[in-house]
Amino acid sequence: MAVPEDAVSLTRKRSRAGESAIKAALLFCASVVLATTLGIVASLAFEAIEFFRAVPFKEFLTGSSWAPTFKPARFGVLPLVSATFVITIIGAIIAFPLGLGAAIYLSEFAGDRVRKTVKPILEILAGVPTVVLGYFALTFITPTILQTIVPGTKVFNALAAGVAVGIMIIPMVASISEDAMRAVPHSLRQGAFAMGATRRTVAAKVVVPAALSGIAAAFILALSRAIGETMIVTIAAGQIPNLSGDVREPMQTMTAYIVQVSLGDTPAGSIAYKTIFALGTTLFLITLGLNILSHRIVRRFREKYE
Amino acid sequence: MTVLDRPVTMPPLATGKRAERSLRAVMFQAVLLFALLVGLLTLLVLLVDVFRDGAGRLSGDFLSSLDSRFAARAGIKPALIGTLWLMGLVAAISFPIGVGAAVYLEEFAPKNKFTSFIEVNIANLAGVPSIVYGLLGLAAFVRFMHMGRTILAGALTLVLLILPVIIVSARESLRAVPDSIRHGAVAVGATTIQAVWHHTLPSAIPGIMTGMILGLSRAIGETAPLITMGALTYVNFVPAGPLDRFTAMPIQIFNWTSRPQSAFQEVAAAGILMLLGVLLVMNALAVFLRNKYERRW
Amino acid sequence: MTEFGNLLRERQAKPRREPHKVAEPRANLQPVFSLADVSVYYGDFRAVREVTLEIPAKQITALIGPSGCGKSTLIRSLNRMNDLIPGARVEGKVLYHQQDLYDPAVDPVEVRRRIGMVFQRPNPFPKSIYDNIAFGLKVNGLTDDVGGRVEQALRDAALWEEVKGDLKKNAYDLSGGQQQRLCIARAIAVEPDVILMDEPCSALDPISTSRIEDLMFELKDQYSIVIVTHNMQQAARVSEMTAFFTTEILSETDDRRTGVLVEFDRTDLLFTKPSDERTEGYITGRFG
Repeated sequence: MAVPEDAVSLTRKRSRAGESAIKAALLFCASVVLATTLGIVASLAFEAIEFFRAVPFKEFLTGSSWAPTFKPARFGVLPLVSATFVITIIGAIIAFPLGLGAAIYLSEFAGDRVRKTVKPILEILAGVPTVVLGYFALTFITPTILQTIVPGTKVFNALAAGVAVGIMIIPMVASISEDAMRAVPHSLRQGAFAMGATRRTVAAKVVVPAALSGIAAAFILALSRAIGETMIVTIAAGQIPNLSGDVREPMQTMTAYIVQVSLGDTPAGSIAYKTIFALGTTLFLITLGLNILSHRIVRRFREKYE
Repeated sequence: MTVLDRPVTMPPLATGKRAERSLRAVMFQAVLLFALLVGLLTLLVLLVDVFRDGAGRLSGDFLSSLDSRFAARAGIKPALIGTLWLMGLVAAISFPIGVGAAVYLEEFAPKNKFTSFIEVNIANLAGVPSIVYGLLGLAAFVRFMHMGRTILAGALTLVLLILPVIIVSARESLRAVPDSIRHGAVAVGATTIQAVWHHTLPSAIPGIMTGMILGLSRAIGETAPLITMGALTYVNFVPAGPLDRFTAMPIQIFNWTSRPQSAFQEVAAAGILMLLGVLLVMNALAVFLRNKYERRW
Repeated sequence: MTEFGNLLRERQAKPRREPHKVAEPRANLQPVFSLADVSVYYGDFRAVREVTLEIPAKQITALIGPSGCGKSTLIRSLNRMNDLIPGARVEGKVLYHQQDLYDPAVDPVEVRRRIGMVFQRPNPFPKSIYDNIAFGLKVNGLTDDVGGRVEQALRDAALWEEVKGDLKKNAYDLSGGQQQRLCIARAIAVEPDVILMDEPCSALDPISTSRIEDLMFELKDQYSIVIVTHNMQQAARVSEMTAFFTTEILSETDDRRTGVLVEFDRTDLLFTKPSDERTEGYITGRFG
């Protein structure tokens, strides 16, 4: 039976008080994300500000000696930054060509079956924990490099760490670049093929230029990841701050130093404790800057295909 | 012979393959293939190397012993228990928060600045180095909330780390449920919450579970944040509960790798094999779930 | 014998329905909907312009017109389904039994219980036949004798005989026509006053379409029905009143098109003696 026409008013809200509570709970869950950002900024800032009250900016940013626990203590961050930089560059030299090459092959040349087999393997490589890569660097890459290619390589050295970092970021470079290239519409390729171009010409002269902003983003994000990498460099590159730039030698990166302090018994209020937050702030700002840059590049230079 | 006498053949769609017999073309493709293979080969070499080093060391004793200064007696039990506790807590805490956030963002959030701000935050947090999360855990959970260097603090740190992963994948699963289902529910007089709870969420669960497994796979291999917030590296006891101090498998591996005695290399490799084994099972489970329950709308 | 074959035999056995007689609007019933200068906007785009219309109760009213003329938009504003579309808003007055549907105090959930909707593509829930109907009963508190209510709804939707053997069957295993009848059953199970149908047969084959048209005839004694259709013959077959819409250019500067109501009359009159030349053009197929 249908409800009669002179029906009860439509305003009677069924008692759904529980629903407002549920919506509030869901909003709370979403706000955890905001709380996390706030927490990171607050935790870093609080200790970092204390640090920079004791240590002048100039010494931190330009000093070439890092020895916080010595007397007299030295807080020049350059050796750590240089080590991070060197290892990241080595990683990039390895990962950019290999990752991009793999991506071009998968996107423009490989058949479906190859792609379906290879992509999961790349995902597996991406899922290998970094301790495992650190182990690999120390116990395999270093002896192989020590023995064969580069005489004078020490047990802990930046080169092995750099290679392992490169291996770590290959999947990232490959998959983001490949996504960018797949997003290039087929009509662009077809136009070139119809003029008699080969696949390699199309790949090199049509697809890669069209996908350039995405590829640039892939590179920048991979750099950001490499800069923040901790375990590989801690295990394989050693714990000695070193400004020499000789990759056969051990070098301590910013992240490795934080681990060193965390493993020891540095008491809470001490200046050494505050240094890890100062370095954490530096890391955070660098990676945040790179991530924002990659986002901007994609937005600004993304090719409009229509 | 007129044009009509010639056989009519459709030229194949232009693919550029015809002109590729030249040496240059072959070399080009070979170089790219080489690039791809190097990456894959490295994985293979890594696995073989670890297997060779560590397979011999795997045994029941290895699983049931505590750590030791003597390589022959070192075992992974405390680390294993620690990892299990951590993963259990991480799963239990990150699931409701991550799914709740995803439901809010997909089903309720109005398109305004606040919502965009949350989304920007999620994207940025995904790119923050994991060691910074460790610093957050140290400052906020260990010190500020006085939890101490316990499993609970470690689990909360990891929850924050993987939350972006979980939220993003849960949102995608919710988005995959067609609007027609939601509209059908609302049209019979259900509220949005009723529609989500009874229809949208159940249909999205397989995808959400896959995302959870991927998030946990990430968490299980994380070392730096746990070391930074104070997990131990030498543990000769088995943690009994969330308020105990602890170690975890990747930390134990790190510790063994760092010891100068070469015999510990094998022990580390054995630990790695266990860790990779667990990861393999988790990922196989994720693939299985995805294939079995993914609904084609 | 396939289901299709069965349907075919059934149709041939039944006497052909008389082309329906002109039904007088029931004089003692107030219109179920009164629209006064109703415009529907998506953001700043006016999709429907100033519609004034009274939809009679306990009859079948058809909304016809070319695509893009806002028929679906308008019908969705009758049960506040447009609320689900971000940026959608309604201007003017929509009265349902003399009550303002868009009054801030009105609960849209309550509205949709009274004013049900059947959609263009059948959209049953991915659950059993029983659960599809039981869900509506549950959220509306009609939990006395759920089994009985489910059966009655399926009977009223002319689906009971076909599914009574296995109510636990998944709704997705039904044919398109059966799914749509399930959606109708789902809608009527919650005892609405009005059923809105947005091109309910456009995704179905002719036999299923014909069954649903028969069903509409049986339903109109109890429910007021408003149907949007792009099929003129369907409107002519089932409805007592028909409203014809068309599109007009928004303005001199904006050449997007907005929907306007052209003519609203008894179906037989609209199709035989239309008052407006645009109506005549549409029904004679001069434009479509």
